[in-house]
Amino acid sequence: MQHTLSTATLIKSTIIALVIAVLTLVSFILPAEYNIDPTGLGEKMGLTALANTTTTTDVDQYQNTDKLSSSDSFEITVPARRGLEFKFAMQQFEKMEYEWLTEGSALYFDLHGEPEGDTTGYFESYAIATLAEMKGSFTAPFNGVHGWYWKNKTDKAVIIKLKVNGEYTVIGIKK
Amino acid sequence: MAHGVDESTRVFLQNNTGVQFFPFMYIGAKHMVTGYDHLLFLVGVIFFLYKSRDILLYVSMFTLGHSLTLLLGVMIDIQVNAYLIDAIIGLSVVYKGFDNLGGFKRTLGYSPNAKVAVLVFGLFHGFGLATKLQEFQLPEDGLFTNLLAFNIGVEIGQFAALTFILLGISYWRKHHTFKQFSTATNTLLVSAGFMLIGFQLTGYFVN
Repeated sequence: MQHTLSTATLIKSTIIALVIAVLTLVSFILPAEYNIDPTGLGEKMGLTALANTTTTTDVDQYQNTDKLSSSDSFEITVPARRGLEFKFAMQQFEKMEYEWLTEGSALYFDLHGEPEGDTTGYFESYAIATLAEMKGSFTAPFNGVHGWYWKNKTDKAVIIKLKVNGEYTVIGIKK
Repeated sequence: MAHGVDESTRVFLQNNTGVQFFPFMYIGAKHMVTGYDHLLFLVGVIFFLYKSRDILLYVSMFTLGHSLTLLLGVMIDIQVNAYLIDAIIGLSVVYKGFDNLGGFKRTLGYSPNAKVAVLVFGLFHGFGLATKLQEFQLPEDGLFTNLLAFNIGVEIGQFAALTFILLGISYWRKHHTFKQFSTATNTLLVSAGFMLIGFQLTGYFVN
């Protein structure tokens, strides 16, 4: 252990330590980590951009998935003799409960997911059938875009009523 | 990286089942070498330790502390908020820097038992590690062996990091600037500890 500092030096050291800490926190760390930028310096230095891409936020989103749970309903019109895709962005292990029905016409569908960042066109199907209604749930096996491809083989437009509940971000109709 | 495990590691931890000895060991070692909060604390602890026997003793106390809570925390599923634990780890850095400045002697008239303090903060560091691992909902299959491997990795990482810190400090001690700057260095250590506390507490209140 070194010799004990005088009280004055000790107080000075402690105050200097605190001042450096507060200045660094406020001008660099908080803007870069949390996008909290009281001085506006973080914005000027481009540090606040970091706050949106850190793994910390990813992990936190993952932890808080329960709180992100939401439900939505949609009316989707599939034109005659056409197919369309309706998609949701989901992180790995996020769950979705769904229920959809038409006014009676059966539609060919493929419930599937495409991994994030994949460019090969790969997708994984969870269910393929021709039905007029369906109810179920699934857990995303990977980060990516998940949802339905419906094909209307009839000569009339078909309206689908879709209700979903779970952890997702709506993307909607994909063309 | 304050909350410790990067994206690819996370995917690995969640997808692999059974005993994965070396991967877990590697993750543990990497965590320690890149975990600046643990390293800052260790710098503080060995700053004024000159005898290798003392260094070994203090580092063993720290190891004992964090191994205990790392294994216990995961096995009996104790979840502590990671931000609060990391704030306490920040506090451990402030404590050690302040102690090195002779702050406790000056203000309290005595210095808290340094070995006990290192053990207690070791316990908190272990809880921090345990909490981080629990975020990944590790498969039960082979859990204990994997944890043991992780813990061994933590020790290897700590040993590796310590070797470099010791080399640096021992070399620096021979130089006259060590005395000149020891106050400044420990002031910076206290400052870094305050930063960690502020950073983690903000995270706690934001999330």
